[in-house]
Order: sequence, then structure tokens, then C-alpha cells
Amino acid sequence: MSDNLSKLLKQAYNHPETGLSDDIWRVIKLKQARNLKMQSLSYSLIGVLSLGGFVFMSFYLKEQFALSGFFEYVSLAFSDSGAVALYWKEYLLSLADSVPIASLGASAFLLLSMLISVKKIVHQYKSQLLLNQN
Amino acid sequence: MEGDHILIKKYLDGNQASLKMLIDRYTSSIYNFSSRFVGYEQAKDTTQEVFIKVWKNLKNFDENKSQFKTWIFTIARNSITDYLRKKKSIPFSFLNDEELIEENVLDEEILPDEVYQKLQDKEMLIKVLDETPVQYREVLILRYQEDMTFKEIGEVMDKPLNTVKSYHQRALVLLHQKLK
Repeated sequence: MSDNLSKLLKQAYNHPETGLSDDIWRVIKLKQARNLKMQSLSYSLIGVLSLGGFVFMSFYLKEQFALSGFFEYVSLAFSDSGAVALYWKEYLLSLADSVPIASLGASAFLLLSMLISVKKIVHQYKSQLLLNQN
Repeated sequence: MEGDHILIKKYLDGNQASLKMLIDRYTSSIYNFSSRFVGYEQAKDTTQEVFIKVWKNLKNFDENKSQFKTWIFTIARNSITDYLRKKKSIPFSFLNDEELIEENVLDEEILPDEVYQKLQDKEMLIKVLDETPVQYREVLILRYQEDMTFKEIGEVMDKPLNTVKSYHQRALVLLHQKLK
């Protein structure tokens, strides 16, 4: 019974739609290309902003290191290593205290954002090439 | 021929051609299934919408939960439901479970020869099926055109196995009555 009905239904509802799958594929490719373009633009924008922020933060960080006396503590290690060895605990605490943690963290975050953006842009570029090949 | 799961894996690994193969494989089925509910013209748009949803959600597809075929038909069914809902032409029973009254438990030879003779007429078959309630038509098409099991149909329709079986039986009874 099921074979007969199956045959009848397959015959009745077999309305071939030539070209539909190609049309669908074209639409998907267009959407993929648009998505890739949007993502590339977004990542480029994030990358440029991160780069700008990082450059700015680098100067600010240098200033912060100078103001906190970090460089003096470092030079002390070379000029008076005997005293540093004697009071190494206090020296390390002071050295750590002079590190501008917030600025350093912000710089690292910006650097990381920039690197991730570059990685994503390269990935998008590869996907675009792959899409064009198909 | 490569299985659906292999093609999906290949596509997710960056092989674009695998997605094209999946589209080629299922376009006709989805188009013919959709056309029974929304008409041939709208079926093109519905089919396109289904494949765009498939493309967008393919990375979320879990092969351990369902087969690709039932997954794509579930998406098609939801797209059809959305379209009919927007068009406000959706039969109430397409969306809601209904109480099924067990009746006329029939054996497998539910459709006698004279009924089959009448069903040979393609126009007649389409007319009769178009007149049957949507959920019955859905079961018949999935069962006999797409060769799905009752369990798979239940997954697509999100209905328990017994409900699907009842729909199936009622659909056959209805066909019989209409063609008597």
C-alpha cells in the first residue's frame, strides 16, 4: 500500500524547479560576501582604533613609568647592587609599587585587540579568496 | 555519495562546495514540500529562506540530536508556519495540538483498489490532498514523498509518535471518504 501511495505522491508532487538551487547558492554567496565585507570593515576599524590607542598609551605609559620612579629603581639595581641584595624584599616591593598597573593593563588590552583584529582580517581575507574560488 | 553529516563537517572546515551540494540535494524536496502549503510561487521564496536559515545555523546543528533531513524539514515547516501566520491564513489546527478521537482503526489495506484507480489521476490526487487538513497533508507528504518514518515526522512536526500515527490514519480515512 505504502509503495503505491508513495509512487503516486512522488509523481504528483514532482514539480522540478530548475535553477532554484543555483539562485539560492548565488544569494547565499552574496550574503556571505556582504557579511565578510562588514566583518572586515568592523575589524579594520577596531584595529585602527586599537593601534591609535596603543600609540597614545605607549607615550602615556612611558610618562607614567618616569613619574613613578620605576626607572630610578631599575638603575639602582645596577649602580648599588649590594644594597639591593641586602634589602631585596623592600626593593622588590618598591619596584612593584612603582609599576603603573592600570596603564600597563590598558596598553596590553589595546595591543591584544589590535593583534586579534589583524588575525581576524587575515582570516576574512582568506575566506573571501575561498568564496571567490567557488 | 557523501552523507549529509560529512558534507556539513566539510563545509564547517571551509569547503564551500559542500554547502552547494547540500543545497542541490534538498532544494527539490523542500520546494515541493513548501509548494503544497504556500503555492508554487511562494515556495521559491520559502525554499530560499529555508536555505539561508540553514546556512546561518549550520554551525549550531547537532548531528547527535537529529538527522539533517529532519532538521531542514523542521526549518521548512517553521518558515511555512511563519508565512501562513503573517498571511493570517493559517488553519488553527496547524499550530495547535488537537484532541484526537481514535476512530475506525483500519488495517493497512485502507485504500482499496478503486481508490487507487482514482488517485492515478494526478489532478485528482492534488485536488483531494489540497482539500485535506494541513497536518494530515503534511504527514502524507513527509511519509510517502519524503519516505520519512513516523518518528522522523514526529520530530519535524514536534508531535508525539502516537499523534503522528493518528494523523496518518485519519488522513488515509479522509482520502478514502473523499474518493468513495
